[in-house]
Amino acid sequence: MKTVGKALIGVLTGAAFGAQAQVAEIKVSYQPALYWALPFHVASEKGWWAEVGLKPVFSTFPAGVPQIAASASKSWDVGGTGSVPAVLGAVRYNLLTVGLTNDESVGNALLATGAKAAGFMNNPQSIRGQTIVLTANSTGDYAVQSCLAKWGLKKSDVTIKSMGQAEIISAMSSNNADLGGLWAPNIYTMEEKAGAKVICSGKDAGAIVPGALVVRADYAKEQPQNVAKFLAVYLRAWKWMSTHRAESVAMMKKFYEVGGVTISEASMNKEFDTRPVYDLAGQLKVMNRSGAGSDVDKWMTQIGEFMKAAGTMPEVPQASRYITDDFLKMVERDPKLKAFANQSN
Amino acid sequence: MTAGADRRFRLAIGTATVLALAAIWGVGSAGQWIAPIYFPPPGEVWTAFVQVAVQGYADGMLHQHFLHSCLLVLYGFVAAVAVGVPLGMLMGWSRRAEAILNPAFLLLRPIPPLAWIPLAIVWLGLGDAAKVLVIWFAAFVPSVINSYAGVRSIEPHLLEAARSLGIPRAMLLREVLFPGALPLVFTGLRLSLQACWTTLVAGELIGAITGLGHLLYQGGLDIYPAMILVGMVAVALAGGLMTALLTLLEARAMPWRGR
Amino acid sequence: MHDRLSRRSFIALSALGLGGFFALWALLAASALVPKLFLPSPVAVAERFAELTQQPFVGYTLQQHLLSSFGRFGAGFALAALIGVPLGLAMGWFRWLDGVVSPLFDALRFVAPIAWVPFAALWFGTGIGGPILIIFSGAFPPCVINAYRGAKYVEPRFVEAAQTLGASHWRMITEVLLPASVPSIVAGLRISAGLGWQSLVGAELIVASSGVGYLMVKGQSNISTATVMSGMVAIGIVGFAIDLLLRSLEARIHRKRGR
Repeated sequence: MKTVGKALIGVLTGAAFGAQAQVAEIKVSYQPALYWALPFHVASEKGWWAEVGLKPVFSTFPAGVPQIAASASKSWDVGGTGSVPAVLGAVRYNLLTVGLTNDESVGNALLATGAKAAGFMNNPQSIRGQTIVLTANSTGDYAVQSCLAKWGLKKSDVTIKSMGQAEIISAMSSNNADLGGLWAPNIYTMEEKAGAKVICSGKDAGAIVPGALVVRADYAKEQPQNVAKFLAVYLRAWKWMSTHRAESVAMMKKFYEVGGVTISEASMNKEFDTRPVYDLAGQLKVMNRSGAGSDVDKWMTQIGEFMKAAGTMPEVPQASRYITDDFLKMVERDPKLKAFANQSN
Repeated sequence: MTAGADRRFRLAIGTATVLALAAIWGVGSAGQWIAPIYFPPPGEVWTAFVQVAVQGYADGMLHQHFLHSCLLVLYGFVAAVAVGVPLGMLMGWSRRAEAILNPAFLLLRPIPPLAWIPLAIVWLGLGDAAKVLVIWFAAFVPSVINSYAGVRSIEPHLLEAARSLGIPRAMLLREVLFPGALPLVFTGLRLSLQACWTTLVAGELIGAITGLGHLLYQGGLDIYPAMILVGMVAVALAGGLMTALLTLLEARAMPWRGR
Repeated sequence: MHDRLSRRSFIALSALGLGGFFALWALLAASALVPKLFLPSPVAVAERFAELTQQPFVGYTLQQHLLSSFGRFGAGFALAALIGVPLGLAMGWFRWLDGVVSPLFDALRFVAPIAWVPFAALWFGTGIGGPILIIFSGAFPPCVINAYRGAKYVEPRFVEAAQTLGASHWRMITEVLLPASVPSIVAGLRISAGLGWQSLVGAELIVASSGVGYLMVKGQSNISTATVMSGMVAIGIVGFAIDLLLRSLEARIHRKRGR
């Protein structure tokens, strides 16, 4: 796997824009109404896919696990997903992580119902013996476990019940559960419509929760230039959003609505303010392996350890086996593609 | 052909089929004709079985999941039957009761049991009660319909004859109505039981701690097809076992129908 | 049957029952017993329902969601009928086939359609095949069972007569067994359609990005119980309509056969 890109880079460098005349179809998967999926929507609205000769075909999934499972039948080629499903996908189906969507350490959190939040925050030890509802094998799960660890609590100190995000919202809003692990924008729905409060986010617990851009290994081997183009489009969308906040929020509103999420504009702005994203240089920096492994290697390996502890997988996968910056480097090396990715208009 | 010979014939062919399929599965997996990512090979399924039976998986050992699910089904089933059978019989017996109750029943009937999950959570929380409610809905409909049909299937002459003889109401119920309706009532119970099991899996999506549905759910989350297969087999076994018990009960309740 | 009732008073009582049902619901919603957020009044649900037919929610209007659900249902149900009915008939005629299929069939019956969701995701991914598999697994058993029973209980006289005339296997099944089992098959299709429709909703509650089940999940994550209940109403209406359609077909066939 580690030589996937390397052998091909020599052949393809500089050729990326050559075949612009013909349009290549690329199957893109994501989860609707999530912050990191917004660039896909923005790029479509702006017509940027066509500019690099890609024609995206989208498919959406309510959570990471079904998304990963669907890669087995080649239902999609590239996509964005949570870091936890990305690691699961690496182990089960050789999915490659080729970049980051965003740093969602704040966007994954443990929430408590309004009446109980202050008590838990003042005395985290009182969480011992409580029931926490969360979606297992998700970034939300990871954030909750990190919070527990920060307070010196073990998994066995609480009762964990796993269910979908929609069920968690139902259970918490009807006071049938006091503590729940959620991710944004569900966090905002709970805060706005049911008065729940974040008592600890992944960031508060000192955990880095990245979101991953993933590719099927076969596809990466067959169409590396398309993967690079896909990355360039994604990066450009963030670049544009970083300088067009008002328009971005308007687009987010529409995108979230189609995904069935209605939250206030303030919460949408909060999404932009609390979730750092990476431009090309930033991506290359966190993925740079010179020295003692990259930051991304470290973050993902920590997630792998969390999943091993949860019993999801017997071994932590080796970071170099599934994380690669080869495709980002392809963008970097191609002057036209690089300029495209860094364009802010 | 005698009944005994027929049974032997079926048993032989059934066994042969199961063995043949097992052979295809084993050879196909070993020869890579069945891709392991699409369908788990026998070895993996065995490992999964040992894992859940000995170390436990999804917060419980296999027998705990098994027992908990059986219990949930039993609760839901008994509660549904306790309400559904009398209601169905009442509707079959009295036109007045039918006129009053049927419209509401017709409205609720086509709503799938799973569609009650969101409401079950907000009404009853995450405990067993919500799961039992969902299972209850699944079992309720067939027990009402068949009990109703059971009463209606009794020959009207029989009832008229009984009435013209001036038999007291209680006796009429005991001697004519119940025995007459019983065969179809039991058909309804079988369907109810099956509906309970097929709904259980969904019911346990409501934050279960143990249970076969939870086992299947966790297997799905971990993308662990071998474990899912173990869970499916366990559900089929549990369902088959309970149906066998019901058949025994049926034979006891209707000795006159013995073959 | 028992207490005779004029048509007019039957309708009056039905209206009374229906009114009572809604009154009870409205009363519960108005009382402080259940928070409004979790049990909206009938009026609130009706309003939300009307709104959903006008304004798109999660990308589509209610009608469009229903249409996409219905497309999946149609494909799965058609497949179940096309495979299930011939298989059932053939099992009723060829004893060896009966022996081969029955044990597998009995085992699979208890596995919930939604237990296939993880496998459907693995095998078909985002394709239409996934939902079809789930609906199929719900709708298939009644098709097989009823066709099988129909074929099994054809008057032996007809079979013998056809045999003495030297009918081939093919003609025996298509010209003797099939016509004789039509009532049973249609009854099976009715059950099968109901179960298929229910399974579809189960599948959509978990994996889909359109359809009524999806609409309900999204309503749930927006803490909008009225949306959830509107989805239930829509599901109920369509389920009822499907049943009505098949029931009229059934009645027509019975009339034609002069029963």
